[in-house]
Amino acid sequence: MKIHITGYGLISSIGFNAEESIKSLRIGQTGIERGRFEAMSNYRVGAITLSNEELKERFELNTDGSRTALLGMVAAKQAFHGHEISDQIRTGLISGTSVGGMDISEVEYKKYLDQTDHNPENYKHHSSGTSSMQIAKELGISDFVNTTSTACSSAANAIMMGARMINNGLLDRVIVGGTDAMSSFTISGFKSLMIFDDDWCRPFDESRKGLNLGEGAGFIVIESEKSRKLSKKESLAVLSGWSNASDAFHQTASSPDGQGAKLSMLEALDRAGLAPEDIDYINAHGTATPNNDLSESKAIQGVFNEIIPPFSSTKAFTGHTLAASGGIEAVFSILAIRNGYLYPNLNFRTPITETGLTPQLKFEEDKEIRHVLSNSFGFGGNNSTIIISAV
Amino acid sequence: MKILACSKISDQGIFLNGIQQSIEKTTNNWKKELYIKLGVEYPKFYKMDALAKMAFLGFELISNSTSIDHLADDELSLLFANKHSSYDTDQKYVNSYMEKGSPGPSLFVYTLPNILTGELSIRNKWYGENIFFIQEKFDPEFFIDQINFYFSKGSNACLCGWVDSAKGIEECFLFLVENKAGELSIEELNNYYKQ
Amino acid sequence: MSDLKETLKEQIIEQLNLEDLTPSDIKNDAPLFGDGLGLDSIDALEFIVLLEQNYDIKISDPSEGKEIFQSVDSLAAYIEKNK
Repeated sequence: MKIHITGYGLISSIGFNAEESIKSLRIGQTGIERGRFEAMSNYRVGAITLSNEELKERFELNTDGSRTALLGMVAAKQAFHGHEISDQIRTGLISGTSVGGMDISEVEYKKYLDQTDHNPENYKHHSSGTSSMQIAKELGISDFVNTTSTACSSAANAIMMGARMINNGLLDRVIVGGTDAMSSFTISGFKSLMIFDDDWCRPFDESRKGLNLGEGAGFIVIESEKSRKLSKKESLAVLSGWSNASDAFHQTASSPDGQGAKLSMLEALDRAGLAPEDIDYINAHGTATPNNDLSESKAIQGVFNEIIPPFSSTKAFTGHTLAASGGIEAVFSILAIRNGYLYPNLNFRTPITETGLTPQLKFEEDKEIRHVLSNSFGFGGNNSTIIISAV
Repeated sequence: MKILACSKISDQGIFLNGIQQSIEKTTNNWKKELYIKLGVEYPKFYKMDALAKMAFLGFELISNSTSIDHLADDELSLLFANKHSSYDTDQKYVNSYMEKGSPGPSLFVYTLPNILTGELSIRNKWYGENIFFIQEKFDPEFFIDQINFYFSKGSNACLCGWVDSAKGIEECFLFLVENKAGELSIEELNNYYKQ
Repeated sequence: MSDLKETLKEQIIEQLNLEDLTPSDIKNDAPLFGDGLGLDSIDALEFIVLLEQNYDIKISDPSEGKEIFQSVDSLAAYIEKNK
């Protein structure tokens, strides 16, 4: 059964929608800068320059929620634009998040500690599940709502789960993706792991030191052919492959040979009925940590051998948006298919000595891009891959 | 689909395949006591947070009664969910940087519920699929649907779990199913959960 | 010195959230990393924090840690030498 993609939406530090994002990608304009707000002022982060109030106003959001939920609403609404709720189309929403409502809870908790103005009502936004329900409410979706929480592979896993539910006849149409807002919790946590780069991150570069965090949301709408005939939406691309595998190595580090990543890519190709040489572009996980980029490079070499397609990480543009990254990068993949785009891997100078690989360095368009492979690897050794193909 | 084994740890006690085990769950040290009683040699156990420890112990209980040696290392899928995500550890972590001023990396590692599936995979060298969902309550129908997806794509076995630890309530329900002839009804699964 | 070692064990248990362990579970010369207590590079970061917060000793290069954090004995010896 073909899984059609009939909508997409995203918001990140490089744009409030797909069109703005492409403009930034085209001119090599990163969204990462030194943080404007207190908790982030020491770090380079990919922050969205709108407050929660501004998000609600600008995007006409009717449902209250944490910043994670609000960002999710923006992206999901864009994706669902032009779709209608219908009795004949069983519609679900599956969202991946790691922050949930922590961005509100941590502010509230500080007020509690400082004994100022504390409102325990606000903790109701805390649960990851609540953010998904708020997004669903904003869109009027009630048939099925679920939440994945597998760190940086959450959105990719949400996409995978949605595809399965359609394939198995449990749903006809699903909005799938992920969202994560910036929070002190996450910033301090990654800082304690010592995997930040004080400078702009350098994916796949020999001198890379670590990642820059980002925030954002990315959602796509997938539906069966039967549903598409009813919704009358154009098929923009096809979700042809997906897979998840365990790295079984360490809680936060990837195995040196990228075992889990390799398995995940191979199985996704197998599901899509494709050979490695059919892939025209890889949107890598590419967080720019010493560990991930080496591990992922080895895995890519293990799958593609000598003939490695153009590949790049877009995280030097958006920052690492954690649970949202698989969703945002799925949108980039769809746009690559539709417009023949290849995205540049910013800040690259020298290949990793051990692998000698050079990523795509400039923005190109009108290329023949029929199949895109997108990787999302989460803590816990949770490795996911999705493949998006031309209709 | 056939249930091979299940373990349940809750306020009612520690159960394996419906039979209560002789470790009381009343002491605060119950996890350590169970670990010692099971005769496991895996010092990394001590680093884990409550969720990962419970899942670890839940599976060690199961593997004492059932062998899955016949499965290849990528044939077993992991399917887990809970309501509170990594709440307990999140709280401790917030304390570590808000009150003590020193964010703890070894705590931060566990502020994701799916680290427990990572720990199980590391311990048992499993390379199959794994996922973690956040849901309002244990939903047997959801689990059965998901298991069917895995079996239809070629997975031969599934280790499933509802593992939650928040606000003083600890709960760990693990069950192992194999892709073999047999029916597992929603009601039956719910009964196992309610032990 | 043996007081220091006992204190160190308590601090290790607290810093690394090894809440099910007691000081008597940790032998002075037992390896802490790899096979012993199964600690790893993330835990090494915690040791660096422990040294700085409790003993005012700064380790600027995390890779030095391997030697120093081998066991309670080696850790205590390092603290005695550098305090």
